[in-house]
Order: sequence, then C-alpha cells, then structure tokens
Amino acid sequence: MLIAVRYYSLPLLMALIVHAFALAALYGGWNPSKDVRVIKPQIVHSTLLVLQPKAQPRRPPPPQPRAQEAPPTPEVTKPEPKAQEEPPKVDREAERRRKEREAQQQRLAELARASFDQALATESSALALGNDEVVARSYQLGIYQLVVANWSRPPSARNGMQARLMVELIPTGEVIGVTIVESSGNSAFDRSAETAVRKARTFEVPIESAVFERYFRRFSLLFRPEDLLR
Amino acid sequence: MPEQLSVFDIVANASLLVQAVLVVLALASIVSWMMIFQRWFFLRRVVNEVDEFEDHFWSGIDLRQLYSELDGHDDLTGIETMFVSGFKEYVRLSEQSGAEIDSIMQGVQRGMRVALTREEERLGTHLVFLATVGSTSPYIGLFGTVWGIMNSFRSLANMSQATLASVAPGISEALIATAMGLFAAIPAVISYNRFSARVDVLMKRYEAFSDEVTSILHRAAQARISKA
Repeated sequence: MLIAVRYYSLPLLMALIVHAFALAALYGGWNPSKDVRVIKPQIVHSTLLVLQPKAQPRRPPPPQPRAQEAPPTPEVTKPEPKAQEEPPKVDREAERRRKEREAQQQRLAELARASFDQALATESSALALGNDEVVARSYQLGIYQLVVANWSRPPSARNGMQARLMVELIPTGEVIGVTIVESSGNSAFDRSAETAVRKARTFEVPIESAVFERYFRRFSLLFRPEDLLR
Repeated sequence: MPEQLSVFDIVANASLLVQAVLVVLALASIVSWMMIFQRWFFLRRVVNEVDEFEDHFWSGIDLRQLYSELDGHDDLTGIETMFVSGFKEYVRLSEQSGAEIDSIMQGVQRGMRVALTREEERLGTHLVFLATVGSTSPYIGLFGTVWGIMNSFRSLANMSQATLASVAPGISEALIATAMGLFAAIPAVISYNRFSARVDVLMKRYEAFSDEVTSILHRAAQARISKA
C-alpha cells in the first residue's frame, strides 16, 4: 500500500494537473468573444450596363485589320507582270501606284486609330458614368427592399396599385421628409407606403457625397408592391 | 442575443446517461494519464538501471564478487535479479559433485527465464489498461452521443415548429461525449504504442544479456570440469 502511494502519487498529481489545464483551456476557449462582428451583406447588383458600352467599341476595331489585310494582296500580284512587260515605263507608274497605296494605307490606319481612340474614350466615359449609376442603383434597390420590408399591407390594397413618393434624406441616410407625389387612388395604400418609409427611418446611402447629392438627397420612389401580393 | 451556452452549462443540463458517460470517461482519462506518467518514469528508471548494470557488468568485475555484492539485497532491479538467480543456480548446481555441463546450463537458463518472465510482467503492467482505454473510450463516448442525439430528435418530434435552436443544444451536449471519448483515447493509444515498443526493446536487451551470462557461465563450467 505504501509502495503504491509512493509510486502513484506523483503521476496522479501530474494527471490531475493535465486535466486541470485541459479544463481551463476549455473554459477559456469556449466563449471566444461576446461581440460578434456582423458583416452586413453588401448589395451587389450587376446589370448589363457595363457590358453594352463595351460591346460597341469592339465593333470598330475589325475594320482596321481588314483595311490592312486588303492592300497587300494587289501589291504582290499586280506589279510583277507589268514589270516584266516593259520595265522603263512601269517605273514611274509603279512609283505613283506605290505612293497612292501608301497614302491610302496611312489614311486607313489613321482612321482605324481614330475610331479606336474614340471607342476607348466612349468606353471609359461610359464606365465612369456607369459606376456611379450602378452604385446608386444598388443602393436604390436596398432602399426599396427596406421600404417593402417595413410595409404592412392595408386590406384594401390591390394588385397593380402604385404610388410615387418624394423622399428626402440627409447624408446619414435618415429620412427627413416623405410626401406623396402621385397617388394610387387609394388613400389607405398611400398612407401605408408613407408609413413604410417613415418606419424605415434610416436608409443605407453611399458615402460619396457626389453620388448622394445626385441620387439620394431628394428622390422619387415608385412604390409598387404588386409582386408581393398573393 | 441570449448569453452563449458554456460547455459546463451544457454538461450540467445533460441527461443522466450522458453525464454518467462523461464521468466514466473523465475517470478513465485521469487514470490513464496517471498510468502514462507512472510508466514513463518507471521505464526511464529501468532503462537507466539496465545501462548502469551493464556498464558495471562489463567493467571486468569478477562475477563471484558481483554476485556476493548483490545477493541478499531486497531492492534488486530486474536485470540484477536475473543475474543473481542465474548465478545462484550455477553455484548451487556446480557445487554438487558429478553434475554435467548440460544440466548446469539448463538450470541456469531456467533460473534466468523465470526472472525474465517476472520482469516482463513488471514492465507490462498497466499497458493493458492503456490499451483498453484507447480502444473502448471512443465507443463509450459514441454511445453517449448517440443517446443524446436520439433524445434531442425525439424532443424535436414533439414540437410543432422544428428549428435549429431546438435541436442544437441537445446535439452539442451529445457531441461532448464523443469529444471526451477521443480526449481519453488518443493519449492512451499513443502512449500504449510507445511504451509497448519500449518494453519490447528492453526485453530484447534482457534476452541478449541472459544469453551472454549463459555463455560466460558455460565457459566457466567447462574450464572447471576439464580442470577437475
């Protein structure tokens, strides 16, 4: 018995220490942190808006290779037979032809370059214009969804009813004014739409002030929840 | 947001069977760790002793002197016991007149084999326990898990609206049992493999040592008989 105590007391102590450590690790590691960071889903809204201007510039470049391809063929075939027939006379004529051809080629190249530059310019401007619009549109979608989420359907609402509201926001996204611009004809529906906007209180708006001023300072919202009615 | 469930709350609210499984596994884990440490120290000590004794043995010391040094002590180590029992047999048999070499050597080998077997037994104690914990505690844990999940699904069947929140605590509680089983099993399996390999190595050394002692005594016996 004494031997057993001598042999096993230290191992038992160490085993208990191991388990105490494991328990402490479990206790400490189970609740990592209380403040869970909620990553709000950003509304990614893709449209064909960017694709369309891109498709346009693609079209102009093709003439360029075609224009370049066309001239070389006569260059190879035509001069040879004439040069063999009468060398002295051809000399001048060939030179004239060559100059003509060169001029033509240059013109074509210039034309192609110009069209390409133009296409590039239109593309970049469309992109710049489109970016703001795409951003604005995604926010608009978010706003609309928030309004719909806050909307409670009055019993008298029917499919196809629509109301246009004028919403005024401040840069933090808070609603400071809602007015009905275009009534649906049903006052209950109009009121419900207005209440929905007021209930939402704060919308997500872009941080860029230019975009905000342009699209969100004062905007009209067409409220038409037809797809929501069952 | 409600306060997060801590593992201790879950265990405290677990069903009785799951709690029992957890207690069994915790005990198994503690005991197996105890065995691990005990075996660890023990095997390290034995290896040191064997090293020391072999050094002493091969240092050119007279075997009779070594025998008389060791004989009569209580706290002999395994390899010392082996030597002493072999040598004692040799002395006893060779003192009898008319003993043949073969019978002397057989006696020596028998004496050493007995000591070797006893030593093997001593080295291998608790290893069976570790093997048992390593192989069965996952099953015990799994049993607790299956039971817990069974219960949580049964309670789910009684609800009109099944949500994840209504089953999640039950499943979490049940999975703790499996985790506990693995927690007990993994160190046990690892240490079992390690220790049994070490015991094998030690047994090989013992066997080699006993062969060497036998051959030395064989030579001595032959010289003695031819002298006589």
